[in-house]
Amino acid sequence: MQGVKNHDRPTAAGLRGPFGSVKRARPPIGASRPVAAKRRREGGTYRFLVFALPGMAVYVGLVLVPMVMAIGTSTTDRNGFRPATHFVGLRNYGDLFSDPAYLLTLRNTLILTAIVTIVPNVLGLAIAQLLDRRGWAFNAMRAVFFVPVVLSSVVVSVIWETIITDDGLLNRVLRGLGVAHPPGWLSDPGIALYSVASIMCWQMLGLCVVIYLAGLQGVPQELMEAAAIDGASPVARFRAVTWPMIAPAVTICTVLLMIGGFKAYDQVKVMTNGGPGIGTTTTLAFDVVVTGIDGAHIGYGAAKATLLLVLIAAVSFAALRLLRRREVEL
Amino acid sequence: MTTQTWTGPVRTLTALTVTAVFILPVYLVLANTFKPGTEIFAHPGTLPLHPTLDNIRNVTGRTDHLFWAGLLNSVQVTALSVVFSTMLSAMLAHYLVRTKTRGARFIAVLILAGLMIPSAVTLQPITEVLGQLHLMGTVLGLVLVNVAANLPFGALLFMGFIKNIPLDLEEAAALDGAGPLRTFWSIVFPLLRPAAASVLIFAAVSVWNDFITPLIVLGPANGSTVTVGMYRQISEHVSDFGAVFAFMVLSTIPILILFLFFQRYFVKGLLGGATKG
Amino acid sequence: MYVPRGTRLRTAAAVAVAAALALSACTVGDGNVTKASGSGSAVTLTFLTFENPNLTSEYWDAAIARASAKVPGVTIKKLVGTNSTAYLQQLYASGQAPDIMTSISPDGFAQKGELAPWSADEMKNFIDPHAGAIKGQTYALSFNVQPIPLVYYNKDDFAKAGITTAPKTYAEFLDDCAKLKAAGIIPLEIGGGGKDTWAAAFGFGAIVSSDMLTKTPDWFSKRAAGTVKFSDPDFVAAAQKAADLSKKGYIDTAGLSRSYSDVEQAFRDKKAAMYPMGSWFSASLDKNKPSFDVGVFGWPSDAGQNVVPVVTGGGLMVNSKAKDVGLAKKWALAFAEDKANLDNSVLADGLIIGIKGYTPPANVGAMYTQTLDIYQKAQQSGQTVPAWMNTAGDGSLPPGFSDQLNAAIVDLITGRKSPQAFAAYLDQRYAAATR
Repeated sequence: MQGVKNHDRPTAAGLRGPFGSVKRARPPIGASRPVAAKRRREGGTYRFLVFALPGMAVYVGLVLVPMVMAIGTSTTDRNGFRPATHFVGLRNYGDLFSDPAYLLTLRNTLILTAIVTIVPNVLGLAIAQLLDRRGWAFNAMRAVFFVPVVLSSVVVSVIWETIITDDGLLNRVLRGLGVAHPPGWLSDPGIALYSVASIMCWQMLGLCVVIYLAGLQGVPQELMEAAAIDGASPVARFRAVTWPMIAPAVTICTVLLMIGGFKAYDQVKVMTNGGPGIGTTTTLAFDVVVTGIDGAHIGYGAAKATLLLVLIAAVSFAALRLLRRREVEL
Repeated sequence: MTTQTWTGPVRTLTALTVTAVFILPVYLVLANTFKPGTEIFAHPGTLPLHPTLDNIRNVTGRTDHLFWAGLLNSVQVTALSVVFSTMLSAMLAHYLVRTKTRGARFIAVLILAGLMIPSAVTLQPITEVLGQLHLMGTVLGLVLVNVAANLPFGALLFMGFIKNIPLDLEEAAALDGAGPLRTFWSIVFPLLRPAAASVLIFAAVSVWNDFITPLIVLGPANGSTVTVGMYRQISEHVSDFGAVFAFMVLSTIPILILFLFFQRYFVKGLLGGATKG
Repeated sequence: MYVPRGTRLRTAAAVAVAAALALSACTVGDGNVTKASGSGSAVTLTFLTFENPNLTSEYWDAAIARASAKVPGVTIKKLVGTNSTAYLQQLYASGQAPDIMTSISPDGFAQKGELAPWSADEMKNFIDPHAGAIKGQTYALSFNVQPIPLVYYNKDDFAKAGITTAPKTYAEFLDDCAKLKAAGIIPLEIGGGGKDTWAAAFGFGAIVSSDMLTKTPDWFSKRAAGTVKFSDPDFVAAAQKAADLSKKGYIDTAGLSRSYSDVEQAFRDKKAAMYPMGSWFSASLDKNKPSFDVGVFGWPSDAGQNVVPVVTGGGLMVNSKAKDVGLAKKWALAFAEDKANLDNSVLADGLIIGIKGYTPPANVGAMYTQTLDIYQKAQQSGQTVPAWMNTAGDGSLPPGFSDQLNAAIVDLITGRKSPQAFAAYLDQRYAAATR
């Protein structure tokens, strides 16, 4: 193992572990600094095109074409139970915004995504700080937080459903503590959405803890100690040293959580099926499947799918811009 | 508050409490998997007082082989999806990094846009594409959908790595008479091993745990994956939590083992992908 | 080689490829194929089933084997899905339609020519060969009659509340509810959690049946024709009744988080005294007796009729594009008319068999006998009406409407929608579903 040991260098680049590894693995043959821009350009021919083709074919066929199809279908009244399909222009989109059920779904998704983006981020960072210590006990605890990362959403949903259903463990404990009428976590239309969101927070929390722990490894201990000796308060030290160092970790957590919120399907399907009642826990992704696949209203479902795509694109673009700018400024 | 109060036993105790609360649901599943049904209901919170393997046997001994057939499908689909998405995304990334044309840059943007697309959104048209190709309800069809879904993340990660590989390495191999494919597989790909490990474990976890795609794409004709099988199990069993929990535990063990093996690449992959995007 | 060898990834990749190749060699999921007896070149037909606590995978496997034994040259491949029109539609749309299916409404499929009709001759042994007919054609071998729902009640709870006989009129029913509540017992159990939203609908379904359908039996055919609307006074009045029951605290709304199997368990656990449910619940009660005696009655109307809503259905249907339609039909008939299959469906699912000359097995349970008795008496006295939520064919709800109706009923019960708003919502959804 030779080469630059930038792996241990306490900079933000140190977080990019894999890239450090590559450099370490680099053989002596290619150790000289690469090449003039001119030679680079000579490499830029079509001779690698054959490399791209298999991957591109699969991607085009099963991601891009379906996307275009969805956009196309969204301008029709296609219905699985009726043979004839007509072009209806933008009528489906007009219907969407006058459909109270869709507006409720939009609201649910925004609430859910906001909760799922904020709570695990904050808690995850706090817990990662708490666990960022040496010793076997802390190692073991860190390992514990890894576990939900591998659990499927179906498993997580079923576990929690057995706990928070009205006769579940949680309410049995509450009754034991003297609460005569514990809340209907999944049966009360006013609560169910927040129950689903909380469960998703639990599911994502482990991932955030893991990412922040990795981020904190890159924070130089000497710098923290120096700041402490200089009399900086813990809050000041966090702001001045830790926060800038974990900026990439914040970005990835936020993006992952946001995508997780927008694509929430499994949890809703298993725990509430969109209810109780009309759409009280229906999310946009769930609604797309219910309308387009289960409900056979393919045209209308495609319009919902298209809008969800636009929404996700807009939000993630905005979020990335924001977070990136912060990373650069810091 | 000073650093001193926050080290030592107070911190350890706080950490232990937080960790215990966090993992309580998983503990409940594990403990109740090994209890008889009556005990699950009477003492859900205790360790098994009368440990039994009956629940596990109920799942593994089902006459319709729901678990075993699901496991077979899951292993097959995950293995194929992971191998193909790793290979294809590495090759694609190589093209995108090494080819400095406007077309390549456009393709890169298209691919990266795919990072954000939830599978539910395009599932309906995907079934139509697969239907046209007569791949609906087949393992191959499901594998292709998974490969397409995991391609953007893989390509993104590999691109970051390939940028750091000096071009003269490849040129030296080319001078020695190796063709592009041979150069890639024998010179470049071995250097990408850490990235490949990240892509592999990331794809494996997401494919193994996927629910809606196998539910729809695999359909009823070719059995289910363990994740879909679990959903089926809960509809059939009358409050038989023991069997449901046992199914959960059994269906999680394979991916958990793989994950433990590769966990450090999982985190590195996430952070690498984030920072080089 | 100068490249350092990482064994981990290599091993993993090798294992993955080896595993995948090894598994590709086996036919995955072939555990569900039942071979035909002694035939070399059997036609493989797919049969779509569904599983629930009554109808387990063992039940289906045994029934399929018995039918296959009678029809040489058929190999049946069992598919397990759900018995909903939406699900079947999705299979048709994605080119995965089964050859034979059961207990799904033919509506929407028959009109598109996707199902093979049954002739009068083929259905000569069926008591009601026109059940679920669409434009005069029968598409399902409707071999069973199901009262949906009846009210199953806990006799101990009734005794505790000082109630001696089952209510005959709706006024008596309300009195009994008040007595139960005064005795600290929730009167009505309800389900609907998780994916089983349908389990919330039965009480409301019974109210509509008892009041509206006794007056206008073909109300839903008229709704399809557009001559009546949900927002008409009759329907709104029925909705008002359901809302009132909930407002008075007579409904165990905690059940809205209970899946179907959980709500069954909740009734056994004495969470509530009455449980409006389809006749299949009798099989569950007979198989696994609760700790109390159970009685059963038809939902009482204002006028004092104990109404029994009935659907003849549950039949097998054959895909008009099946690999071998003739053979598929032969097998479906064998499945539907096999005496042992019928006996088993009686014992497992409490079905009342609509095949000529059929007598139930001697070992049926007490609840089945009670349920059968209620049905037969209601039939003699003309107190049966169509089980409107479950009917197929003319007068049935449009495809895809049921799910929205079920969700709306929950809103009615939880008070999120007034009876008027509920009815208006249904009219709007009905229009969208038939658009």
